[in-house]
Amino acid sequence: MVQGMALSGVSRTFAGGVGVHGVDLDIAPGQVHALVGLNGAGKSTLMKVLLGMLRPTSGAARIAGVPVRSAGAGVWSRVGHLVEGPLVYGEFTVRGNLEMSAALHGVPRPRRAALVDRGVVEFGLQPYMHRRARSLSFGNKQRLALAAALHHDPDFVVLDEPTTGLDPAGTILLRERLRRCAGEGAAILISSHHLDEVSRVADRITVINEGRLIGRLEPRGAELEQAFFALVLADDERRRAGEEAAS
Amino acid sequence: MSGGALRAAVAVELRKSVRARVPLVAAALLVLGVVAISASAIAAVSAGPPEVLAKLGPVVGGGGWAGYVDAALQVTGAAGAGACGILISWSFGREFAEGTIAGLFALPVSRTAVAAAKLVALFVWTACVTASLIAVLLTAGLLVGLGPPTASDVGVVVGRIPVLLLATAAMTVPAAWVSTITRGLMGGIATTVVLLASAQVIVFSGGGAWFPPSAPALWALAPSPSTLVTLLWSLLFPAVAIILTVVSWHRLQLDR
Repeated sequence: MVQGMALSGVSRTFAGGVGVHGVDLDIAPGQVHALVGLNGAGKSTLMKVLLGMLRPTSGAARIAGVPVRSAGAGVWSRVGHLVEGPLVYGEFTVRGNLEMSAALHGVPRPRRAALVDRGVVEFGLQPYMHRRARSLSFGNKQRLALAAALHHDPDFVVLDEPTTGLDPAGTILLRERLRRCAGEGAAILISSHHLDEVSRVADRITVINEGRLIGRLEPRGAELEQAFFALVLADDERRRAGEEAAS
Repeated sequence: MSGGALRAAVAVELRKSVRARVPLVAAALLVLGVVAISASAIAAVSAGPPEVLAKLGPVVGGGGWAGYVDAALQVTGAAGAGACGILISWSFGREFAEGTIAGLFALPVSRTAVAAAKLVALFVWTACVTASLIAVLLTAGLLVGLGPPTASDVGVVVGRIPVLLLATAAMTVPAAWVSTITRGLMGGIATTVVLLASAQVIVFSGGGAWFPPSAPALWALAPSPSTLVTLLWSLLFPAVAIILTVVSWHRLQLDR
């Protein structure tokens, strides 16, 4: 059976008690799974646990059925991600950055040039191919970061707020690329604040609030924003009532 | 850590060394600075008044090639520590300061390999700077009118400067570890300053034989079985720093 990405009973707390608590989440192959929540809800923390950037206090993260803490090069070469900061160096050109990224993603040398060329075209970076990354606009740097995360055809994709800085054309290019990845069987986890965009690209939408998964939204449903806030407010009230009862 | 992963990481780090400004500026300043200071000192002694000779005498000895090379060895010890310390702090600290560290997770090339590659790149950079320094130093000696060097002078330059610079580079590895645990460049640069200043103070106060950062310069200025043994023992200092750095990268979390 083809396996995707999974979090089982994952908790990761920081000073003051914030973090994520007892999260179970499955991201199936061939599916774009969106994680939506307010700022500080725990979206990035979950993604970092999934990618081994944070060790969970309890629970486990798995990619392709392999625990992340013991995953080796074979698993990681099938992963593409953009979480927190892009793997883009200002001194390299756009092409140089993509070549560097291909090398670090374990792409064999003979395949690199073709993948780099395709990544440049997919994200509309042809006019900037020989420009140093430090001279790119924020939006074009984001396009480059996405191309670097996706050009090696990963089976597992994790993108935190991938539309940040993108213009409408860039957003459409990303949406098409993600749908193509999913069509080829990749398991994709994205986070976003843009509910409209999420509704266009996601197959499943999970809502996170205060570090806990609190429900799902219907991707093609009407009044997505209203449904999102209804879930969040209901969760806030439930927690407040629980805290009052405890005190 | 596989050989292929390390090779890929080393290729990336060497490319950064060639494309970025910091390694090139540090190399140029180190080579030109050492040569300019050594040549100025020898020119001042040969043409200057007796009081200049009295002040620079301890640095350039009796002048000529021997004095010029002695001055170069002394300046190289201090300048090399500064340049290598800044370079290694930049190499490790920039990943945190520029936010690229997150992209170095979840790759088939492990962070252990990336950290090791950064250290390899530092020593490759140091070897290239060493070759340039030797060439420019010998050429400048001829240009300032010292005449052709003897085989012994050339032997001192070719034999001691590579050991001095490579060992000095090794002594700055603690800056890589501090850059890692402080998540930025400034901790590493501060460590470099502390190592450099403490080495100078300890040597000038007559100590230094037991202090690892002083050992390369003390050996280069007065090679003997005693200073050689001290130099070899002092390499334990960077060895520990290398282990601490690689382990820190292996265990790294993005938790602050």
